[in-house]
Amino acid sequence: MSNEYFEEEEFATKLNGKTLLRILELTRPHWKWVAGFLLTISLVSGLDSLFTYLSKMIVDQAIIPKDGQRLTELLTVYASILLVQAAGVFSFIFLAGVLGERIRYDLRKKMFNHLQRLSLSYYSKTPLGWIMSRVTSDSDRVAELVTWGMLDVTWGIINIVTAMVFMAIINWKLALIVSILVPVLIYVAIEFRKHILKQYREVRKINSKITGAFNESITGVRVIKALGREKETMREFGVLTDSMYAAGFRAAWLSALFLPIVQIISAFALSAIVWYGGLQAQIGNMTIGGIQAFVSYITFMMWPIQDIARVFAEMQRSIASGERIFSLVDSVPEIQDRPGAIDPGTISGDIHFDQVNFSYEDEQPVLKDFNLHVRRGETIALVGATGGGKTTIVNLLCRFYEPKSGNINIGGTDYTQLSLKAIQSRIGIVLQSPHLFSGTIRENLRYGRLDASDAEIEEAAKIAGVHDFIMRFPKGYKEEVGEGGSLLSVGQKQLVSLARAILVKPEIFIMDEATSSVDTLTEALIQRGMETLMENSTSFVIAHRLSTIKRADRILVIEEGQIAELGTHAELLRQRGKYYQLYTRQFRSRMDKVFEALPQAE
Amino acid sequence: MFAKTDSYDLKNAVSEKPFKGMLRLLHGFGWRYIGSVGGQAIAVSAKTATFFLLRYFVDDFFAAENPALSLPLLAVGFILLALIQGGFSFLTGRLAAQVAEGSIRRLRNYLFDHIQHLRFSYHDQSETGELISRSTSDVDALRRFFADQAVSFARITLLFLVNFAALLTLHVRLALLSVIVVPVIVGISVFFFKKVSSAYEAYQEQEATLSTTLQENLSGIRVVKAFARQNYEMKKFERDNWEKYIRGKKLLVIHSLFWPISDIFCGIQLMLGYYLGAQLAIAGEISIGTYLAYVGMVIYIIFPMRNLGRVIVQMSTGLVSYKRVAAILRQEREPLDTGIHTPQGGLNGRFVFDKVGFAYEPGQPVLQEINFACEPGQVVALLGSTGSGKTTLVNLLPRFYEYTEGSVLLDGVELHDYPRRYLRRNIGIVEQEPFLFSRTIRENIGYGVSKDVTQKEIEAAAQAAAVHDVILSFPQGYDTIVGEKGVTLSGGQKQRVAIARALLKDPCILIMDDSTSAVDTETEASIREALRNLMRNRTTFIIAHRIQSIMNADLILVMDKGKIIQAGRHEDLVGQAGMYRKIFALQTNIEAELEEEIASV
Repeated sequence: MSNEYFEEEEFATKLNGKTLLRILELTRPHWKWVAGFLLTISLVSGLDSLFTYLSKMIVDQAIIPKDGQRLTELLTVYASILLVQAAGVFSFIFLAGVLGERIRYDLRKKMFNHLQRLSLSYYSKTPLGWIMSRVTSDSDRVAELVTWGMLDVTWGIINIVTAMVFMAIINWKLALIVSILVPVLIYVAIEFRKHILKQYREVRKINSKITGAFNESITGVRVIKALGREKETMREFGVLTDSMYAAGFRAAWLSALFLPIVQIISAFALSAIVWYGGLQAQIGNMTIGGIQAFVSYITFMMWPIQDIARVFAEMQRSIASGERIFSLVDSVPEIQDRPGAIDPGTISGDIHFDQVNFSYEDEQPVLKDFNLHVRRGETIALVGATGGGKTTIVNLLCRFYEPKSGNINIGGTDYTQLSLKAIQSRIGIVLQSPHLFSGTIRENLRYGRLDASDAEIEEAAKIAGVHDFIMRFPKGYKEEVGEGGSLLSVGQKQLVSLARAILVKPEIFIMDEATSSVDTLTEALIQRGMETLMENSTSFVIAHRLSTIKRADRILVIEEGQIAELGTHAELLRQRGKYYQLYTRQFRSRMDKVFEALPQAE
Repeated sequence: MFAKTDSYDLKNAVSEKPFKGMLRLLHGFGWRYIGSVGGQAIAVSAKTATFFLLRYFVDDFFAAENPALSLPLLAVGFILLALIQGGFSFLTGRLAAQVAEGSIRRLRNYLFDHIQHLRFSYHDQSETGELISRSTSDVDALRRFFADQAVSFARITLLFLVNFAALLTLHVRLALLSVIVVPVIVGISVFFFKKVSSAYEAYQEQEATLSTTLQENLSGIRVVKAFARQNYEMKKFERDNWEKYIRGKKLLVIHSLFWPISDIFCGIQLMLGYYLGAQLAIAGEISIGTYLAYVGMVIYIIFPMRNLGRVIVQMSTGLVSYKRVAAILRQEREPLDTGIHTPQGGLNGRFVFDKVGFAYEPGQPVLQEINFACEPGQVVALLGSTGSGKTTLVNLLPRFYEYTEGSVLLDGVELHDYPRRYLRRNIGIVEQEPFLFSRTIRENIGYGVSKDVTQKEIEAAAQAAAVHDVILSFPQGYDTIVGEKGVTLSGGQKQRVAIARALLKDPCILIMDDSTSAVDTETEASIREALRNLMRNRTTFIIAHRIQSIMNADLILVMDKGKIIQAGRHEDLVGQAGMYRKIFALQTNIEAELEEEIASV
């Protein structure tokens, strides 16, 4: 949904030659295809002009002299050109079209692969909708420019030039008049087109507001009804549709004005030809066929002019698209393997946070001189208010981010000396809103270890306590989970992602417990799965459930980026401090669940 | 200008026959649309007339000793015709745009209003995304139908008719022979564009798949990185990406076959015409001018026909969109103002429920045998598990749902007799997770009252709801925008804004969901205070979760499976064996357990 609200940003105000060159370079690996369609479109375009000249010859050489023999000859030529042209049309559509798809494919692949390398910091400052439109609509626009755009311009230019040549052959003075008019027409047409495009942009902007208004009034319909605000919301919506009407109407009539204007301007050329051509014909300098050819050339010149105008007007936008694509592809991943990074084969060992300072983009310090020593195999529960820095600790540990200053040592080595893969392939993680991918349950589980056998997958599922519920699905492990796992409940998703983490056999286990309510049975199952994992690895749990908190070896209360309290459950309760408050409140919230736990009344 | 057309009830545009229904969407715009087609006809005729002028120019101007028209006059004639053609085709476009944009604006407005007047039960069953896509993309498809497709269809038809008629005046046999390929071209065109349309659909489907893959990858990027699965993801994307390329290629192959093939057919037709025309001209049966006029016009008969297939296929998708929109229009609205009883002095809030029942579907009761009564200003608490019917019961009060059995008396008058609008103006609701609109906090608080409210009143309400200080802590204060484009409020803050909203509305009946589980300790106290302010002197229905917070209620209803299983005050209920006592015991136990644990460490 959020993508639809995503407003297109302003495009670059002036043409950027460097970007254009870089866009053109995208075609280099496929230069044969480009040459192919440019050649065939030139041929087709020239033949278009030749057809008109042939019509002139039919009039002047066959009809007027009443020469039937010549007529047959000329029409035979006509027929053969027709066949050549058909072949040409086939080739350029195929070549340019398929190349366009190929370039789209290339661009998407390049961007996607680069996106996999970019660090999490890139994702935190770039909205998902922005990235999505780069990969989808921008790659379309760029591919369009280097294929159909280039093709249309080539067709247009060759068409105009060859028409001019034929006109010059027939009567060079008249051709001269026309040649003055053409640039004027092209200029007017491009400017006009730009204006129309701008208007349509306005329409799209208002349109996304209308979608937003529908979204809000439908999701909030109960409140609107309860507060009796129907008339007011309708009035507000009316303002939107009025501006939509004004913008849409204006855009439509501007477009409707475009062709007539080009036509009327060329009509002046036409009348000049009739006037001057008529005079010339009277003194024998111009044939009837010649006049007819001029009329045709000028009437049809409208189309290449229209095409050229369209491409040039849209070019600005396409280049802006290119710029954005290149900005994505050029961005350097903030966190990369250092030269000589090693994979020691295991990262099992003590973990030290040593004077760690960290802040995100906004420079607001999140962690301040943070020190922590976690022994191998220990389980740490992280508790504290949202925004205190719990997630940041986990992010640093996974090396999604690196400390701004200070060190994190894993197993005695500064972890920036290790390769990213060495760390990340040995971490098992379960997120608060567990993310699954479309596909079957089995595929999602195998994400933990790609070479796991079906038996191993089932084994992991059994440990996580999720096997039985999977078997209850009609298709068992082959059941589809839906987009983002939407066909499963939050609890089920957590269980699946727990099994996925078990399959990794992680040396470090990280879990962000779900806050949303999970039924008691599922909660017990999750509990058991976690225990297995916590036994075998060093574990960090952002804990919300009392049972988890109590079971941890040590509890870390984080507040404003610093350790507020650290100790075992009993120690901290005795302190009667922050943990005590948190704990008692959490404990009491169990009362709200009493209804669900209660056996149904008889 | 639109006053007349705006008053038209679009309910009339619902018809089993899509074409008929679509015509009715244009009600009030008919003459302008006809004018648009007329203008089109004039523009096309002017174009054709140009060729006749050319004929005159070639045949009579050169041949005659003293031609009726001089050279400058002829030149002016060409310009004049071009002006007529250009002027009228512009007029056509403008009129069509006016019709399309105007009728679609009316449809948009109507749909928007219609949707917010549909019943609760309709909204319960329909998906938000589906409703939005029908109200936006399908409506836009209808706009394109009126603005572009129908206009193109008219243009192609007129081009054919006018030029064919003109050809007939030139030479009947030649004219007839010039259109023999036309049915073939139309046939091929329809055939191809149907293929194109299904290939395009497949292409679009793959595009959607690819977008999903991309979106899942981006939103799950932490998981991808945590499992170091970048290569796996690349392979997955590569598969979908390549498939899209292949489908695009298929689409292109169809295109690259259609255009040259139709080119050849059109070319053969043209050649045939040229050959025949030239023969006739050589034989002297037609003049050279006539031949030239023929050559000019025949192009406008044949080539536009190639696009007819596309227009027809596109128009059929417009019909599908119509059906999807009509399915919404067909729904009955909930009348807001029907009801005879609107007491001037406001309501007291005395309720008597007598054997009330409710069912969405006959035979599947959601509420049964609901009997209770309460006095003005009393507090009624509802306890029960999810699905026990407590939310449905309170939803009967503002007539969100209509009870299907028994009677509800409000101040001695049957609830049905109050207009919905009147009831809703007098009932305030604070939900567990209140919905706020993405506008300023000020607007959100003042949302429930139609009259203009002063800043003072807003602040007073916010203060009573214990949210004033929070609001002032935002840089933009009361002008802070809430939601996606602004500040995200916490659950407790949202709830207090909703309380302020209800306070400002000053209803005499209040419904609230008392959930404090999502709220942190310090705010819990301030919410309690805010709630006490709100409940003062109003008949209040509380959906409660903790017995500790409703011990003072005047009436507690314990619900299960759509029935009231226990009713009374706390003191009475604790004395009885039953669900209430069990809950109370469990919740008290938790408290005791906590104290025990704290004492033990």
